[in-house]
Amino acid sequence: MNETNFNDIFRQEADELLFEIEEAVLEIEENPDDIEAINRIFRAVHTIKGSGGMLGFTKVAQFTHVLETVLDRLREGDLPVTKDLINLILRSRDHVKSLIDSTSGAGAIDPDQEEILLTQLNDLIQINEDKNTRNDSGNTMEENLSKYSPKAFIYRITFKPGKDIFRSGTDPGLLIEELKSFGDHNIILHYKNIPSIDVLIPDECYLSWDIILTTSRTDDDIKDIFIFVEDNCELTIDIVDELTEGDDDKEIKKIGEILVERQVISEEEIKNTLNDQKRLGELLIEKNKVDYDTIETALAEQAQIKKTREKHREEIKASSLRVTSEKLDSLVDLVGELVTVQARLSQFSSIMDHSELLSIAEEVEKLTTELRDNTMDIRMMPIGTIFSKFKRLVRDLSSDLGKGINLVTEGAETELDKTVIDRLDDPLVHLIRNCIDHGIETPSVRKENGKPETGTIYLSAVHKGAYVVITIKDDGAGLNAEAIREKAIEKGIIQREATLSEKQIYEIIFAPGFSTATTVSNISGRGVGMDVVKRTIGSLRGSIELDSLPGKGTVITLKLPLTLAIINGLLVSIADTSYILPLATVEECVELTRDYSDQSKGTNLLNVRGEIVPYIRLRDHLNIKGKKPSLEHIVITDVEDKRIGFVVDKVIGGHQTVIKALGPVFKYVKEVSGATILGDGKIALILDVNALMLFKEH
Amino acid sequence: MSKVIMAVDDSTSIRQMVGFILKDAGFEVIEAVDGQDAVNHLLKNSGIDMIITDLNMPNMDGIELIKQARAMPKYKYIPIVMLTTESQDNKKQAGKAAGATGWIVKPFQPEQLLAVIRKVLR
Amino acid sequence: MAATEILETNKYLSFKLDNEIYAFDISQVREVLDYTEITKVPKMPVFVKGIINLRGGVVPVVDLRKKFDLPTSENTVNTCIIIMDISIDNEKTLIGALADSVQEVMTIEPDFIEPPPKIGTRLDTEFIRGMGKKNDKFIIIIDIDKVFSVGETYMLQETGEYRGFEDASQEDMDKNIDKKEIN
Repeated sequence: MNETNFNDIFRQEADELLFEIEEAVLEIEENPDDIEAINRIFRAVHTIKGSGGMLGFTKVAQFTHVLETVLDRLREGDLPVTKDLINLILRSRDHVKSLIDSTSGAGAIDPDQEEILLTQLNDLIQINEDKNTRNDSGNTMEENLSKYSPKAFIYRITFKPGKDIFRSGTDPGLLIEELKSFGDHNIILHYKNIPSIDVLIPDECYLSWDIILTTSRTDDDIKDIFIFVEDNCELTIDIVDELTEGDDDKEIKKIGEILVERQVISEEEIKNTLNDQKRLGELLIEKNKVDYDTIETALAEQAQIKKTREKHREEIKASSLRVTSEKLDSLVDLVGELVTVQARLSQFSSIMDHSELLSIAEEVEKLTTELRDNTMDIRMMPIGTIFSKFKRLVRDLSSDLGKGINLVTEGAETELDKTVIDRLDDPLVHLIRNCIDHGIETPSVRKENGKPETGTIYLSAVHKGAYVVITIKDDGAGLNAEAIREKAIEKGIIQREATLSEKQIYEIIFAPGFSTATTVSNISGRGVGMDVVKRTIGSLRGSIELDSLPGKGTVITLKLPLTLAIINGLLVSIADTSYILPLATVEECVELTRDYSDQSKGTNLLNVRGEIVPYIRLRDHLNIKGKKPSLEHIVITDVEDKRIGFVVDKVIGGHQTVIKALGPVFKYVKEVSGATILGDGKIALILDVNALMLFKEH
Repeated sequence: MSKVIMAVDDSTSIRQMVGFILKDAGFEVIEAVDGQDAVNHLLKNSGIDMIITDLNMPNMDGIELIKQARAMPKYKYIPIVMLTTESQDNKKQAGKAAGATGWIVKPFQPEQLLAVIRKVLR
Repeated sequence: MAATEILETNKYLSFKLDNEIYAFDISQVREVLDYTEITKVPKMPVFVKGIINLRGGVVPVVDLRKKFDLPTSENTVNTCIIIMDISIDNEKTLIGALADSVQEVMTIEPDFIEPPPKIGTRLDTEFIRGMGKKNDKFIIIIDIDKVFSVGETYMLQETGEYRGFEDASQEDMDKNIDKKEIN
């Protein structure tokens, strides 16, 4: 790895930490007693200081050192949590960010700002900070170096000193002590060889030890401990386990295996004993095959391995891997291609009807599905990652405008595809800014209207079927339909005579060039925002809707498909074209005979086990020419708790659908959300069940 | 109460250097100029915790010192570390046979000496 | 193609539609495919024939005969699809254009290209970049981008959907689909 990579890693790590710091600071603003949050802030600043110092970013290290000292005071309870302190920490955090950004040449540092902040911070510390930051960085350097230790080994060491070991002035205990200092350990002392007191020779050593040791040291290092006694003892050093990434699923060695490895017992005997139901260890002792001590040691070994593995697993969980979006996207693309080829393989193998080939194709399908699921899962992230930035936004913006606004979030754990979240960022910021700027009134106006002085913005995200619904609700002034209408007429967007429903008037807000703000507000920018918002949501194949109650508030509803590039689909056909319905929405398939459909002509209702289910004839809806077959099928789907059936000619079966976008030419075709290539090279159209259902509702 | 280490070497400079290292590390040091001198100290002083000794000395060499020390009831199990040179392997074996606890090869760094002491002295 | 040739826009690919010769700027032509199965996409204007599978990607195909209101004719063994790079609303994408047959790559110097006539052609002159003169014959040079950019609103009009303002609301579009269905 070259130097540049270390710097990038530092910057990325710092970004995450700065994010955490901001989050935690806002938390302690609400909850000054949240010790855990205070500690989080401290640790994050401490880490930035350490790694910054290690990489030579002295400015960063020096500034964060001062900040860290203040935070230390805070966590000691020496400083009260005041609004001023919160602001100071937030501004300091921003300054750290600018210091780090400047290391990559992005942005300049404001030296005055640094002066001001340092003065304020030092006031809180009430001592003149000694420029001994180097010393501190030194310590932290060591701490950090030890964090990057190489991989660990688990050793099984047996040490049996010679009987006369004491006579050379050796203290075996000291050797064991030295071993213990190498890392986590589990020590079993074997004293069963101590004879009864009448034959005991006091200065003879009857003891031996088994030690399970987790350390990154080599076996030579361990041998060195015993260098003075190596001629006078039995010493074995074996590696029983190595910790590498991805070890977690390797089975922890069973007791039996350990015993066999130690050549204490044969595999045969283990097998025989296992035929009973009791634990192997107990059984072996019972049958006198192995004595208690040996079992105990083996158990200790197992426990040690387990413990170390768990610790390792925790460390892995705590550490995350940074992958560029491009790498992930190309991985997803490749997986998509693989799925397509695998479909061809499956199809071909079923044609060939060769049993070996069929079973191979089946295995490939299994593996491909798992690979696909894992890859898709990597891209899913909780939407909370952008929620927290909004908290800061609301806080700062509302205070700038002199309004009191509270942001309440729900559903931060709702997961979306990473690209969707990235592209939602700007639109959501714009929408929230609008709420703050135009929606929520000033405290005095609110008071006049009998509303609480602090307004609330409610932001929620929830999964609904194959969609994520994001709601932004405010209890502000609501939309003024009249004003919108007037402005629209003024801008020539609508005719004066045109009669529009309330909803249609609200929709005008999304027209380009529209803005009801009479002054161009610096805060929400010019009126170019809403049409871009709508377009962005549209490009994510989502929808956005406005609703409002004048005087009471506004609700913005965004609906986004869980854009997975690969979905489970149900392949159906009508005439000679194939279509895909998202399997997630499909409940069941029912036959529809010609007689039945003729009878219920005009009503398009089906009786399914006593429940009335409306259905749509896709042939009609999609304008498909040709004679319909005598036996058709209805695919009954469940969309947002509403059941609806779709009439198709044939239901072919499940199909792993790699979604191919149709492109801008087909932007306005709502019913088709994409296409996919089938195993034989033909194209199947992916139907958007929601859009089809909306049609039905009218 | 700090431990007492006896440093035995006919070379004044080595004696003093070892003494200096040990004192710096917080030990109390008794110096002896040869094996005989060392034995005399052992007989008079029952509070010695460890011996560091050269092997080549007049009047009584290191091997003999080790044997004698081990013969004393009070010092039967005292940790004894030999100062050896690379070429003296057979002497080292003899020392081991006589009951030496460990050894250190000359020339050595202070840290190495202290590490050996940690191995054998509580 | 040598780099210098690509920079010059004097090269055109000529093709036949209903026995007349048209041409595209060669720099926008990606490749020419034999006629292949086209999957129809519902609710599209009639000149959008459907989509094809181009090495795992989906490419829409337009029937310029329908777009230019030319009489339709049967596909022959020479019928092909010309794949081109175009921009729709600043978004780059691929499009395929049906042609009765492909002729040749020819060079036409700018001096030999005249502006499109106001009358006398069967096409809307919006789509014509110019009239190229080659060997005493006139070749209609088509601007493929215009087929779509003007046509965005065009498309909506052709499908008879409501056009209140730029982004028609979902509801209103559905209202009109309903009306159409009933008729």
